[in-house]
Amino acid sequence: MMRRGKLGYLFIAPATFHLVVFAIFPMVFSIFLSFYKWNLLTSERSFNGLSNYVYAFKDPLFWNALWNSTKYAALSVPLGMIAGLAVALLVNQKLRGVTIFRTLFYIPAISSGVAISILWIYIYMPETGLINSVLGMLHINNKTDFLKNESLAMFALVFMSIWVGLGPKMVLFLSGLIGIPPSLYEAAELDGAGKFRSFWSVTLPMLIPTTFFVLITSTIGALQVFTPVYIMTQGGPNEKTDVVGYHIYVEAWSKFLIGIASAKSFVLLLVIVLVSILQFRILRNQLEGYSTT
Amino acid sequence: MVKRCYVVVAIMLGVLLAGCAGKGNRGEVTLHLSNWGGADDDPVYARKIDGLYRQFERENPGIRLEIESVPDEYVQKMILSFVAGTAPDVLSLDASSAGVFINNGVLQDLSPLAAGDPTFKASDYWANVLAIDQRGKALYAVPGDFTPLVLYYNKKLFDRAHVPYPSGVWTFQQFLEVARKLTLRDSSGRVIQYGYNFTNWMPGWIVWLWNNGGDVLTPDGGRAKGALDSPQNVASITFLRDLVLKEKVSPDLSQTAATGVDPFGNGQTAMEISGHWELTSFKTAPKLKLSDVGVAQAPTNLPKGRTVMYEVGFAIPKQARHPKESWKLIKYLTGHLYQQAYQQTGIAVCGRKDVANERATDPREQQFLNLVPTARGPWGAQVVGYDFVEQEGKKMMERVLAGTDPKQALSEMADRIDSYFKVR
Repeated sequence: MMRRGKLGYLFIAPATFHLVVFAIFPMVFSIFLSFYKWNLLTSERSFNGLSNYVYAFKDPLFWNALWNSTKYAALSVPLGMIAGLAVALLVNQKLRGVTIFRTLFYIPAISSGVAISILWIYIYMPETGLINSVLGMLHINNKTDFLKNESLAMFALVFMSIWVGLGPKMVLFLSGLIGIPPSLYEAAELDGAGKFRSFWSVTLPMLIPTTFFVLITSTIGALQVFTPVYIMTQGGPNEKTDVVGYHIYVEAWSKFLIGIASAKSFVLLLVIVLVSILQFRILRNQLEGYSTT
Repeated sequence: MVKRCYVVVAIMLGVLLAGCAGKGNRGEVTLHLSNWGGADDDPVYARKIDGLYRQFERENPGIRLEIESVPDEYVQKMILSFVAGTAPDVLSLDASSAGVFINNGVLQDLSPLAAGDPTFKASDYWANVLAIDQRGKALYAVPGDFTPLVLYYNKKLFDRAHVPYPSGVWTFQQFLEVARKLTLRDSSGRVIQYGYNFTNWMPGWIVWLWNNGGDVLTPDGGRAKGALDSPQNVASITFLRDLVLKEKVSPDLSQTAATGVDPFGNGQTAMEISGHWELTSFKTAPKLKLSDVGVAQAPTNLPKGRTVMYEVGFAIPKQARHPKESWKLIKYLTGHLYQQAYQQTGIAVCGRKDVANERATDPREQQFLNLVPTARGPWGAQVVGYDFVEQEGKKMMERVLAGTDPKQALSEMADRIDSYFKVR
């Protein structure tokens, strides 16, 4: 028994090594950084107490970034989940070649985030972009510069995120759908339930554990969004897409305010933890009766 | 079975650790040279430069040269390499961000090395180019190449409109009149050719501030308030805005984005302000012959024109372990042989006067050299965090083009910069 136990540790050693070196150590180190004023390059660093945190809370641009992230998450998470579930339902049909569609929908998820962002810059371009070209063909105004328009830029990012996040959400919902025992549908049918009724009363409730997981992971992902903002809008126009992830990046790497950036990272961590706890609390009651293993 | 697993894990850890460990034969020095050369470099040229690196190794037995190319996030990666103690032996130093490294004291003062080397002559370089990386007598980098920003004009479009080419000092107003004449509309009033191509790129449009007597920061680089929000700058930014919105002699930014091509290279605009590197793209531009490109100085409201110049130098980090060998490499990279080969890329003007002058038979190149004395290094070579200032500049201009009053936008930008400088 002992030997078997030891062998287990060996198997998890590489992953643990990676986790400790590339995740836990940097996190602990940035806690330390968040209490200091230090630009990394000089040897002099001064203990700053809580003033980096005070600065963060007084910084209107940080609040703006938190608000933008909230907006982004509040839009992209539910819309992304609806789209993911819809596609999962479609590719769950017993059709020939359905696996091809499953693969196609998953491709964005395995593509480079930078490449996808550049692709979408072209899609959103005024006049010659994909969307505006189609609008032009239909003789509708085709001069909208989606990424430079203050009221549209955020929606443009959200719309793209739905497309990018479709694959992983689809796979999760699909596995949830496959896990629903066919006997439940048969029973519903015997009770006279139609397609919609059985979706409402069987499929949706049976998907609650999956939904719960997708909700929490995609909320965390949405609050951390960085790549598309960095590539496509740089937080613009007029800071309307300046999300927390990008805001912290600028603090650290354009302004070299490493301590302040670290403090803001921990505020973001706190927000994510609070939101996750809230989601847990709300959904916990729904989860009763499901085996969570 | 268990034993075999230990072996597997041991190998994996070994591989991981080997990646971190040092290497190199005893008695042999490996020099790391960092630059941002990307994979898209011209392969013929890349082979040639690689040959020159190998030649350096042959001329200096016992020295091996390794190139660290960091095409993206160069400054960030270099900062982290200093933190990790793995800074390169020779650092390519971009003037736009040189202040970060120089002001934080992580680079060696090269003046003792230069003083001890009879083959190094400061007179080989333009004094104001050398000054970019100097602090008093201390020298932190030897110039490799640089470019003043110039005004390019399309001679063909000027000829067609019967407008004389710009030469010497010309004012904003004269420029505007020329730009109006070069803006052509079809019968329906749609613009088919613009006089000027304005791009919202602060490292470029700063010449409009300087040439109206304004600046971004106070002379000591400590503050933006009192400099950036000056009436001169308000006038310059208003002038630029009007070029796009009121006079419509320049395409607006989304129009430029929409075409997806450089409108100047496409023969759709008659003038633009940019650096020497632009000539390489003109060579392959679809509707522009290089022989049709003229080089002039940017318009100015001052008695003498000014321009900005961007430079790349070679520096030695304080933590570098082989300063003597590093200096040898710098001497090689700034030497006649290497510079001559580098000059063929056409990206910039060579730091060495003698090599740069070899190309001066070309009137365009001569014009670049004429403008060197009027040029000044960027603020980024003097202050830390200027990258942030330039990002704010872009946002400020965006706001102005969207309707915000230039005075208000400049004042807000100055406030933001100063509140950053306070905690910097």
